[in-house]
Formats: sequence, C-alpha cells, structure tokens
Amino acid sequence: MEQLIKDLKLQIKNALNLEELPLEEFDENAPLFGDEGIGLDSIDILEIIVLLEKEYGIRLANPKEGKAIFQSVKTIAEYVQANRKK
Amino acid sequence: MANEKWAGTTYGNEWMHKWLICLLRYIDTRILYLFVAVFIIPVCLVLNPSRGIAYRYFRKRIGYGRLKSAWKTYVNHCLFGQVVVDKFAMYAGKKFNIEIEGQEHFLELATREEGFLLLSAHIGNYEIAGYTLTSKAKRLNALVFAGEKASVMRNRDKMFADTNTNMIAISPDMSHLFEIDQALQVGEIVSMPGDRFNGSTKCIEHNFLGAKAKFPLGPFSVATLRGLDVLAVNVMKTSLTSYKIYVTPLHYDKEASRQGQIKQLSGAYVAELEKRVRQYPTQWYNYFEFWQE
Repeated sequence: MEQLIKDLKLQIKNALNLEELPLEEFDENAPLFGDEGIGLDSIDILEIIVLLEKEYGIRLANPKEGKAIFQSVKTIAEYVQANRKK
Repeated sequence: MANEKWAGTTYGNEWMHKWLICLLRYIDTRILYLFVAVFIIPVCLVLNPSRGIAYRYFRKRIGYGRLKSAWKTYVNHCLFGQVVVDKFAMYAGKKFNIEIEGQEHFLELATREEGFLLLSAHIGNYEIAGYTLTSKAKRLNALVFAGEKASVMRNRDKMFADTNTNMIAISPDMSHLFEIDQALQVGEIVSMPGDRFNGSTKCIEHNFLGAKAKFPLGPFSVATLRGLDVLAVNVMKTSLTSYKIYVTPLHYDKEASRQGQIKQLSGAYVAELEKRVRQYPTQWYNYFEFWQE
C-alpha cells in the first residue's frame, strides 16, 4: 500500500504538472479538492480517471462513486488496490 | 470569468414557460417577435446591465460608431428574444427551415468507432442543432446546466426522445465528468459549450476579436486527453424562420505535447468562433464582460 501511494503521488504530480508541490509535502490524507487541500478541480479529475485507466486498467463503473474515491490520494490508493487489473 | 454571475437558466418561471408554449401553438411566431421587440426589449434595455455590455462589444470589438452600436445593441437584444421565442416555438411543435454546412464532417465521424466532441458557443441558437444534428449510430450526450427550469428540461426530454440524445446535467458531485468520460469511452458523441466556464475555473487565454479573452480549459482538456476529433457547431439565425448550422472540424496535432495540443485546439476553436461572430455580429449572446480590458 505504501508503495502504491508513493507511485500514485508521483503519477498524479506528473499528470497534472504540479511542479510547485514537492513529493515530500504531498500528504496522502490531504483533500485533493478545495482550498484546504491540494487545490485540484474538476478538470484534474478527468486526468486522474485516464491515469487510473492507463496505469491500473481501472474503469470507473458508477459515476456516483467518484466523489468518495477522489477525496485524497489514500482513498484513490484504496480503490486502486481493490480494483486494479494490472 | 465574469460568467460566475450568469444564472445558467432560461428566464421566467415554469408557469410563464407553459403559457408561452400554449400561446405559440395558436399564434404566429412573428406576432410574438413584434411584441418582444416593442414592449419587452426596451424595458430590458433600461433595467438590464446587458445594455452596456452589448454596446461596448459593438463599439470596441466590432468597431461600430456610437449610433450604430446603440442600434445594434437593440437589434442584438431583439434577436436574443427571437431565439428564446424560437426555442419555445419548437417545444410547441413549430418547424424551422434548417440548412447545414459541413454535415459530411459529422456524418463521417459518426460512422467511426471512436467518440468525438462537439463544441458550441453562446451565439445563434445551439438548441436547434440538438434536434437536427444527431446520429442513429451514436448517442449524443449534451452537457446542460443542472439548474435549468423543470419546464425546459421536460420539453427538452420530449424533443430529444426520438433523436438518440441524452442530457448530462452539470452536478456538484462531479458525476457529470464520469458520465462524459464513459460516453467517450464507449464511442459516443459529447456536446459542450467552449465559451463558458462550468465548474472548473482553469482557463486558456486567446486573442479574440482584437483583445485578450479567457476560455475554459475543460473542453479542450477533455478532447486532447483521449486524442478525440472535435467539431465546432454554430447555429445561426438567417431569417425569421430559418437557421444555418455550421459544422467545422477543429484540427490539432495529436503528436504534439499535451499543452501544445490544447493550445492548437483552443486556438482553432477561437478562430472559428471569431469567423462566425464577424459573419453574424448581432448574434453574440454572452452578456458578461468577456474581455480583459
């Protein structure tokens, strides 16, 4: 799980060009959205959806699950671990 | 990004909409055009800040003189009134003459396995395209504002029932993003405006009609994320009873860097939009400060 979180942080950072965010300051529990967290917005979500598809073979089946899955890097990691195809 | 002030919904309450649809079943649309031009628009021009916004658009962006800009501001509001009336006239069962330029581009993409994107703008009357530019082979998913009046949504559903069209409402839980992505994954068509911000505030700046303007990054990001083909669709009113749909492919180098692709695609969209706005300057309906001046 720890390695998966590390990989996801790096992949998200690269996919979203988060150059101003050092990996060591990328808290896996921080909310991905809103001013208190990483500050991503809805466009970034689509980037992460495609990232999960390419890297882990995951296609989100239920759109309503999205908000819960994308709360933080940790919630994404938990979802990936339970649903990854590669 | 002044469009944060935009309510995103058709003016009037449900009762007014029902009454209008009922009225349009029995009277000539032109009578309503005349009523709107004589009694409604002058009041709107006095009360609504859209007057100044439209005037500045004609004066600075189109380059008209003071008198002409004032007159065109009135004409622009009358035309806006007409396209709203036309929308309800369609709900009431009235038909318009529709000419399509570039339909072959749509039909060609509709035969392919991959999904594609239609980018519209708030010029002319895009809603007409929803009933005309559809495909039996591919479902069209139109991104719409979730807060639209129930009467409008009901009538849209009724009109779209036989046209293989699905409405995706912009939702605070972001489920619309997943719906868009799923639709594109299974090779369907997604339609969204390219000139207004929906949810995300990320933007890309372009020179548009001689000054810098911000366009939403979202539509261009969605397209380039999966290397989709994109068509600009603008539906312009050409006479009291006619519309012309312009379908134009927007090209970009799919081998370029992601940022390069976004820049090229959004640039192509803005160039096409500018071409149509110069062709039909009085059909520009973005009543907020679009340019950074």
